[in-house]
Amino acid sequence: MNNSATSAGTALQLEGIDFSYATSSDGTNGQLYEGFSLCIEPGSIVAIMGASGSGKSTLGRIMAGVLTPQKGSVRRSPDFTQPSDIVYVDQHPMNDVFPWQTVLENVRYPLEKLKWDGPRRRERICYLMTLFRLGALANAYPAHLSGGELQRLALSRCLSWRPKLVILDEPFSALDGKVKAEITSALHELALKDRTTMVLITHNVSDALALGMRCVVIANRPVRIISDLEFLNGFPRDNSSPDYDAMHQALISGIRDGLV
Amino acid sequence: MDWFKRNSRALLFFAALLALCAAVTALRLIDPIVLPSPWSVVRATPGMLRERLLADIGLTLGRVLAALAVAGVIGIPAGLFLGYRRRAYEVIEGPLHALRSIPASALFPLFLILAGVGETSIVALAAYPSLLVILVNTVTGASLANKRRLYQARLLNLTTLQVATDVLFYEALPNIFDGIRTAVSYSLVLVVAVEMFIGLGERGLGRSIYLYQSTYRIPETYGAIIVAGLIGILLNWAVTKAQEHMLRWLPNAHEDE
Repeated sequence: MNNSATSAGTALQLEGIDFSYATSSDGTNGQLYEGFSLCIEPGSIVAIMGASGSGKSTLGRIMAGVLTPQKGSVRRSPDFTQPSDIVYVDQHPMNDVFPWQTVLENVRYPLEKLKWDGPRRRERICYLMTLFRLGALANAYPAHLSGGELQRLALSRCLSWRPKLVILDEPFSALDGKVKAEITSALHELALKDRTTMVLITHNVSDALALGMRCVVIANRPVRIISDLEFLNGFPRDNSSPDYDAMHQALISGIRDGLV
Repeated sequence: MDWFKRNSRALLFFAALLALCAAVTALRLIDPIVLPSPWSVVRATPGMLRERLLADIGLTLGRVLAALAVAGVIGIPAGLFLGYRRRAYEVIEGPLHALRSIPASALFPLFLILAGVGETSIVALAAYPSLLVILVNTVTGASLANKRRLYQARLLNLTTLQVATDVLFYEALPNIFDGIRTAVSYSLVLVVAVEMFIGLGERGLGRSIYLYQSTYRIPETYGAIIVAGLIGILLNWAVTKAQEHMLRWLPNAHEDE
């Protein structure tokens, strides 16, 4: 496995990835990835779409370095010099926060540990608490928040230190439309402001279209790319536009093809 | 008022028990040497407290708290380390469980040889099983720590000490409290038992119970036993309050309010 740096102009490059979990429950060797390749440009927001069980989360963990492929290379940008430059945000937001810390402490803690100086830290905390509408909840504990509030907290914590690559694993799965729209807008603002590269892993076409600049549809066993589409619309998305409708249809048919 | 409402059943039970004792002793169904009347126990209490019991309560409580402090100061950090470095725990897991199987009271002669007859041996004997139970509970809690939160700790470049104090300690805290609750019972039982039988300086709650009984001051004997029970309840209440405060962030912490 090669973990060397990418050439300039690429945030992350997967080449010829093979990955399997040791043995599946039926006793067969489940080869999930075989010669899989994907390139992520810096500053882009890429939605990785696929049906449940298609190996999307595994891909996210390989990108983040949480899982190591058996074969192939994962090349990361030479700009990624610290472990904190790449962050994987779990689909269960409680896993991304410290439940024994209040909302404010959760946002502040990473910045303290990464030695942000006082004024810069305070400014960042203030910005995030406002952006994710957490101000009124500053002294609440995560367990006492609603699903949407908890997701906002998890994202503000994981994005607090301006990681260069953020992998978001199904961040909207348990949220209603209004909360999704709020979080999508906040994420988009952050991605632009911090020039963060984002990878959104989702099974939901609307979620992919709401945030993604590019949508990669995958199908499994072994995982392969069914379609790779650039999204031309601006932000926020106009879901009544013909472009949006065409993209929606293209993604749906991509997923259908993958299931065949 | 709320407290009375919440505990009405328990209070009713104790009132019924008291009434039964009063009836049994008033009718002389049981010899007063075996079971004195509740009123004679109440009458004996102020004198008993003045005579020696207040000082003995302080001494016994001090020994119990010292044993718990020793057990906590060693058991919690060691448990966090062993829970984090699971391989190290696997090496000592067998001997540790073997040690836990030996009744602590059976080791008392050994403690006397090692530490001599004194405060150290009493505290050490009570601390020993308390330490083991706190250690094992802490290991369990730390080894079940959320892997995603440990991944975050790695991202933030936390030192091993910071991982222990900022992550593992809190992850293990519910288990640590389970261990402390059991340790409180062990410590009190062992301190009182040892005081009864070695009577260091003839002081301590256990020694009081023994001396009252051996001089046939039966109401005082019962009074001292009740005081020992109340100390147990007080210690458990203190642990519960500390647990409620330190685990106020748990999902179900406010559900009963």
